[in-house]
Amino acid sequence: MRTQRGGWYGTLVAVLVLAVGLLLSACATSPDVGQAQPGGVGAAAGASPPGAGPGAAAEPPRVSEAPVRPPGVVAERPVTPVRPAAPGPATPAGGPLEDVFFDFDKAVLRDDAKASLNRDISWLKSNAGVKVVIEGHADERGTNEYNLALGDRRSKAVQEYLVAAGIAAGRIRLISYGEERPFVLGHDESAWRWNRRGHFIVQP
Amino acid sequence: MVRVRGRALRAAGAGLLVLLGGAAADAQRYQVEIQKEVFQRIPLAIAGFAPLPDTNPGADLATVVRSVLAADLDFTGLFELIDPTFLPGDTRQLKPGDQAGVLPTLALFKVQGLLVGTLERRGTELALEGHVYDAERGTTIVARRYLGEATAIRQIAHRLADEIVFRYTGERGVAQTRIAYVAARDGVRELYGMDYDGHNPVLLTGNRSINLSPRWSPDGHLLAYTSYRDGNPDLFVLNFQTGGRTKLSAVPGLNISPAWSPDGEWVALSLSKDGGTNVYLMHKDGSGLRALTTGSGISVSPTFSPTGRQIAFTSDRGGTPQVYAIDLEGTNLRRLTFQGDYNSSPRWSPRGDKIAFVSNMSGRFQITLMNPDGSAVQTLTSEGGNEDPAWSRDGRHLVFSSTRTGRREIFVMRADGSAPRQLTRTGGNFAPDWSP
Repeated sequence: MRTQRGGWYGTLVAVLVLAVGLLLSACATSPDVGQAQPGGVGAAAGASPPGAGPGAAAEPPRVSEAPVRPPGVVAERPVTPVRPAAPGPATPAGGPLEDVFFDFDKAVLRDDAKASLNRDISWLKSNAGVKVVIEGHADERGTNEYNLALGDRRSKAVQEYLVAAGIAAGRIRLISYGEERPFVLGHDESAWRWNRRGHFIVQP
Repeated sequence: MVRVRGRALRAAGAGLLVLLGGAAADAQRYQVEIQKEVFQRIPLAIAGFAPLPDTNPGADLATVVRSVLAADLDFTGLFELIDPTFLPGDTRQLKPGDQAGVLPTLALFKVQGLLVGTLERRGTELALEGHVYDAERGTTIVARRYLGEATAIRQIAHRLADEIVFRYTGERGVAQTRIAYVAARDGVRELYGMDYDGHNPVLLTGNRSINLSPRWSPDGHLLAYTSYRDGNPDLFVLNFQTGGRTKLSAVPGLNISPAWSPDGEWVALSLSKDGGTNVYLMHKDGSGLRALTTGSGISVSPTFSPTGRQIAFTSDRGGTPQVYAIDLEGTNLRRLTFQGDYNSSPRWSPRGDKIAFVSNMSGRFQITLMNPDGSAVQTLTSEGGNEDPAWSRDGRHLVFSSTRTGRREIFVMRADGSAPRQLTRTGGNFAPDWSP
């Protein structure tokens, strides 16, 4: 039965047949042969020795991880903290310098932080020439990249306070770890408060 | 007068546009804009892939190829895959050339396409041959043969899947793409790369320190990332073609959150060397450093618009972390997000029409979309905490990290938030980026 739009359909079908005919003539030759790269990108990268750039430190050879396991098989070991979990304001045993702690998303020194730093400054003045690294840390909330900047800001706040009190800037090096090196594992404030931290490392 | 069914015609019409584009090489390529709401999924039957002789049924490579193809085609959301059990006989034994007998039956069942494939051994290699036929016309849409090592069997199937997608849509599929991500283990953070479907994870770093923020260059040959390998968060570039690594930026302080311009010529990154943390631009060889933002605040996580003329980024200059945009010349700074107290990690869609980001809702982040002017805010996730969105190169999918299973894992989903799919199962996985 002819439809009202029969003329339009007819033209479209004719063009369709024509286009398919064009395609068939293009495909009349044998199918294309393509080479697949074995192992894809990863294998290509693994073919050269790692760390081959100029001045690169030696790296262990690249190891292919086992394929992703289906659920139900033995899980990976849980991540353990880099440092032993030490809830409380004290630094790991033996450290002469007290760490300082911050409020969420802040790099402002609280009064308790200033009190700790005042004691740290006394120690540093009594041990002239000793160098320190000030690490800036953030709790796991917030995005990883933003927390790197927050940790950086905290380390600078501590440095500023020390330098203003007369500690030579050349004795201080800064590094931020953001949320990547928590001191206390946990997903609530009882852990977070210890990770919002300015941490001292005395250089040997 | 040939009577044609309306639905089949519309899909055939879409196919027609592609065929015209493919057949005339120097004609304008037609763009078929496919949106979930309006496009009728193409019913596609899969047959063939008879088991290879002399292999155990449990390790049959032909079945692997068939399932990889089905998963790839299903992932696109363009096809409705049909197992043609209504056909007589064992459809696994179908070969290219047999289609004339079955196509009319398929057409009767409103199946529009038939994929028939075979897998054969050629010495130490495998040969995959795949044909796609139009069930109505009986014509051939795809005819391809691929050779490869048995270890590359998934890649061989992915190539055929991409070819099928290309023939139907005129766009390159994503079945051959990779996802780089960070895996946290025992206090270190190493970078891995896996297939877009979660298979074949490969270690990309191995320095047993903290490695973060992998970002593929637009041509897929380079991967920028931050590493504490040398005692400071420095920016490195891994070259997949040579295997070599170079230090792109190692100024004191942070060298973090790299992003490539769409033409691959520029890298945006955040440096803290001048007091605050600000977004800088430099040439891909590290030269020509200039600041895009200034001040004592925090500006991180830049992302280029697909025209390369604007950058969106996270900044706390308004008091809390929010998403801003700025022209590459440093002008026209404007804030985009106004809902909530923490909006971050923007990623501009390769299509240009959306920016994905994370928004803090009731203490957890959710993946959210907005228009580049900040309007039409739409939350895509709700289960667990969801961060680190990144787009597939065709803008149809997002990869992200989620804690919805209890541990941080990499997921993918469609750009409208549907069909989430878990890719990793080892825990501690985040910061994914999707290769071109």
